[in-house]
Amino acid sequence: MVELKNVSVTYSNGVDALDKVSLRINDGEFAFIVGESGAGKSTLIKLMLKEVSPNEGRVYVNGFNLNKLRLNKTHKLRRTIGFVFQDFKLINTMTVYENVAFVLRSIDAPKKYIRNRVPYVLALVGLKDKVKSYPNELSGGEQQRVALARALVNDPKLIIADEPTGNLDPKTSWEIIELLQDINKCGTTVIMVTHEHEFVKHFGGRIVTIKEGRIAFDDYI
Amino acid sequence: MKLSSMNYLFRQGMKNIWTHRIMSLASFCILMVSLLLIGSAIIFVSNINVFIGSVENKNEVIIFLNDGLSADRIEQMGSKLKNMDNVSECFFYSRDAAFEDLKKDMGDYDDLFQYIGDESPLPDSYRIRVKNIGNMSSTLMSVNRLEGIYSVKAPNDFVNILTELRGFVSVIFAALMTALVIVCLVIISNTARASVDMRKREISIMKLVGATNSFIKIPFFAEGMTIGMLAGLTAAVVTCVGYTQLGSVITSDMTMWSAMGFSGLIPLKDIIVRIITGYVLTGALISAAGTVMSTAKYVRV
Repeated sequence: MVELKNVSVTYSNGVDALDKVSLRINDGEFAFIVGESGAGKSTLIKLMLKEVSPNEGRVYVNGFNLNKLRLNKTHKLRRTIGFVFQDFKLINTMTVYENVAFVLRSIDAPKKYIRNRVPYVLALVGLKDKVKSYPNELSGGEQQRVALARALVNDPKLIIADEPTGNLDPKTSWEIIELLQDINKCGTTVIMVTHEHEFVKHFGGRIVTIKEGRIAFDDYI
Repeated sequence: MKLSSMNYLFRQGMKNIWTHRIMSLASFCILMVSLLLIGSAIIFVSNINVFIGSVENKNEVIIFLNDGLSADRIEQMGSKLKNMDNVSECFFYSRDAAFEDLKKDMGDYDDLFQYIGDESPLPDSYRIRVKNIGNMSSTLMSVNRLEGIYSVKAPNDFVNILTELRGFVSVIFAALMTALVIVCLVIISNTARASVDMRKREISIMKLVGATNSFIKIPFFAEGMTIGMLAGLTAAVVTCVGYTQLGSVITSDMTMWSAMGFSGLIPLKDIIVRIITGYVLTGALISAAGTVMSTAKYVRV
């Protein structure tokens, strides 16, 4: 569950990114967060990952009170979240397998579990044959699938996708959103940030619109 | 952390050396040159100190005794001299032995010695050497307080020159070392920072997927330590080869050096262990610390 109570964020350069935002996304929900560039969508995501801290208000994610979470304990929060970004954020010097396995290695998972789990998740996203490839040898869609596999491998409670289709062609974008919906059907909460209204209209569900740092619309369509 | 994870992280560190080979090579070269500069300066000054020490050892204070002292009294004076803190060597040079030596040295003046006769006109004396030439004046004061001394002959000018030379070398060495260490640390830390800077994206991704700071830093530590050890080892080999070559050049013409009281460089076998351990440990420590410290600002996300 994600809960923001009267959260305001002002950056050091004086820009007010969020202004008294209150939002609650329950476990198992699929929510689209839409808004124009500079509306505050990315700040909202950064708050959830504790990349930025609120100037005022409270933030709770997956049972963590982010106002009290120390910077050297952020890994505990982030291990409960899978993320997918527009620029994929894959480590180019690691193979597809290593990129996905890194998440499990960082939590000291047993070798045998890693050996079974990583190929399984890569097969789920249709990349069984690309385990030995490096990210720069893959297409944009394939790279995003690797990012999805990495987000899934640790079986997180919440997946945050920040403009995951921003660099992809329409067909691949479609497939990625369908994959996210399938993941959501298995019980994982999904928050997807996008500015592509066509997808939102087509898939429907909960839509949260942010405008000038405030929530302008929050309902199901 | 499990042993298998540690094993993985160290292997990652080794892999990273090859993956980022250009930066690894740059770090290696800079570290090796820095170590060579500092190491050579230390070895040079050690040799200068040994040289000064060997010249110091050749100095001698001659203590002439009054005539007519009994054998017991002379012996008592000898034990008092030997018990002085700064005295390293003390031996008795009898008037008869001194006279015999004088006769040998002045073999061309037999007539003169016939006129003097067999009775030695020279006084008994003690000859001492001091441990620390810098404390020569206080030692001489203690010697002069003893009863039964006719006169004391000490190489005061020589002592002053050596003391000043040693002080000068110490000051120059300290200044040189400080400058060298600062310059080397700045260059090394900049290289480490540049190397880590190239990988800040990688570090931020690792943080986002939930890796702890230590999980991110350990491969950097392993990588820095290995590069540092290799640089240290190479610098040690270069130093040993260069030192041997320099030694053979000096010993090929020892006449000039011997005249100056210089008996050659410190033998390599006496310092080789210190050279290797010093270089390898310093290289590994500086490189690992520099690399890990450079990651600090990137893991704070």
